[in-house]
Amino acid sequence: MNNDEVITNAERLPPEQPQLSIGMLPLSDAAPLVVAVHNGFFEREGLEVTLSVEASWANIRDKMQLGSLDAAQMLALMPLASSLGLDGRKTAILSAMTLNLNGNAITVSNDVYQQMLALAPTQAHDSTTTAAALSQIIKARQQQGLEPLRFATVYTFSSHRYLLRYWLASAGIDPDRDLDLRVVPPPQMAAQLEAGQIDGYCVGDPWNTMAAKRTSGVVLASSENIWQNGQEKVLGVREEWVKTHPDTHRALLRALIQACAWLDADIEHRRIAASLLVDGGYLDVPPHIVEETLVANGLEHGVLFHRYSANFPWRSHTLWFATQMARWGHIKDTAIVHDAVLRCTRPDLYRQAADDLGLASPDEDMKSEGTHAAPWTLPTTKGDLFMGPDLFLDGAQFDPYHLEEHLPSQRS
Amino acid sequence: MNVRVLIVDTKAERSQALDQALREAGFDVLMTVSQDDDLYAVMKRLKPDAVIIDTSLPSRDTLEHLGQLGKRYPKPMIMLAQEETPELTREATQAGVSAYVVDHLQPALVRSMVNVAISSFESHHALKSELNRTRETITQRRTIDRAKTTLMERRSMSEDAAYQYLRKIAMDRRLSMYELARDLLKAIEKGD
Repeated sequence: MNNDEVITNAERLPPEQPQLSIGMLPLSDAAPLVVAVHNGFFEREGLEVTLSVEASWANIRDKMQLGSLDAAQMLALMPLASSLGLDGRKTAILSAMTLNLNGNAITVSNDVYQQMLALAPTQAHDSTTTAAALSQIIKARQQQGLEPLRFATVYTFSSHRYLLRYWLASAGIDPDRDLDLRVVPPPQMAAQLEAGQIDGYCVGDPWNTMAAKRTSGVVLASSENIWQNGQEKVLGVREEWVKTHPDTHRALLRALIQACAWLDADIEHRRIAASLLVDGGYLDVPPHIVEETLVANGLEHGVLFHRYSANFPWRSHTLWFATQMARWGHIKDTAIVHDAVLRCTRPDLYRQAADDLGLASPDEDMKSEGTHAAPWTLPTTKGDLFMGPDLFLDGAQFDPYHLEEHLPSQRS
Repeated sequence: MNVRVLIVDTKAERSQALDQALREAGFDVLMTVSQDDDLYAVMKRLKPDAVIIDTSLPSRDTLEHLGQLGKRYPKPMIMLAQEETPELTREATQAGVSAYVVDHLQPALVRSMVNVAISSFESHHALKSELNRTRETITQRRTIDRAKTTLMERRSMSEDAAYQYLRKIAMDRRLSMYELARDLLKAIEKGD
């Protein structure tokens, strides 16, 4: 650990509330929180953090809405869903920081994969056309009058759900008509696939890698294959709490941005993070598997914690997910979406914390998605930022400044 | 018609007690399922009015999805409109209880059901911590005894002298008798 990495160039106000309780789920991408506790990033910002490992996203939602957690690792859509009153009790939750990009994958059972190979061998072998191979099976099953295949994701308001739907729809599969979609807790996915209770799923690590190791299924597409460097987990806080604890929130952001930067600075740091997750008792999974989830894809692919300005909370990311929710009818009143996103995704708060650390931030709150096939440079008033590719698997382009083009027309 | 309740729990002892307590309070308990059961099949077949689930089970997220699917499935308690639900939900969360209820259930019945579940979970919890405390006390007493006999053997002390010796050092070092005994035994083990 190198303490010199900490830049202290700004006059900082002490946190109003030094003791914090932060919720997380047992996942590989909870690494920033665990690293911030064990490597002293919280402590150096004057914060004394207790991590609360929760069993379900519903627990995180309840405890955030009831105020028994101060902050939490959340799925990217949870602050919006809570603010709109779609998830639990309507509560304004905001996020001023993305904790990581990428990290999920779609897996099918060996049985389904064998059928794909038999019906559409060329498509099944090419990672860009596996959805098309799956659609062949679905058609064949429908002709035979068989029950629809059962696919699982991890939560109603999850990136997994919308990435899976996007992937299915790219091959003309109607997720609502052609499949039986479910939610299964990640630790049970592999077992249910083996037991034949589900036929496929979209889940994050370590549960992906766990299943691959057990050879209970075949990975067809990673989240990167569907949307390159898409947003995954965020840091959620109650809007009300931020109003009364602005400096605590700012310190929290500084600590986590530094933890994320540390994670992406050196592959060796990823190894250390893996052992912290396991030895600290946060993740009850064999150590070599957790290490693989954080190390195997290097520092340019798979889960990213800081590279490509990963921590900046792009309003266009939230808006993209919101348009996907609207696409499937999960948001009915699309007129309120834009204002809701303005309120619950807060790049302005991120910039303050990044400024404290002497880090450049994007000047704009939004960027187009699906327009960069390779890494690119984003000039800002404080220096250039190195950005990642952002293509969608179907070649679509998302222009957040013309939202109406991406929303289904308003029902009267 | 009585309220039909499904229990999702993996601790048989606790769910049996809860089952009985709910019946005594006038609820119909349909059955208890574990998290390995296919909740989609169970919920479709039984159509319960309410579900009580152990908060530490990840299967809550499956119930959340069912709650979003349609009117006939129970919704998470935190969504209920009554003013008192946040307090009740907080108490339930602390006790490790999560409840899901269909829209049309009377608030008074929900409260009564959740309260029964809370007290059932709490008494089970109290029983467990009682056991843990007893176990801890026994371990501590044994460690102190072992340290005492070790001193008696190695320094040919009487039992009372060994005890007084331990007590004095513990007080000097501001340690509990158990902490000192534990450290002493560790040091002796290393020395051997």
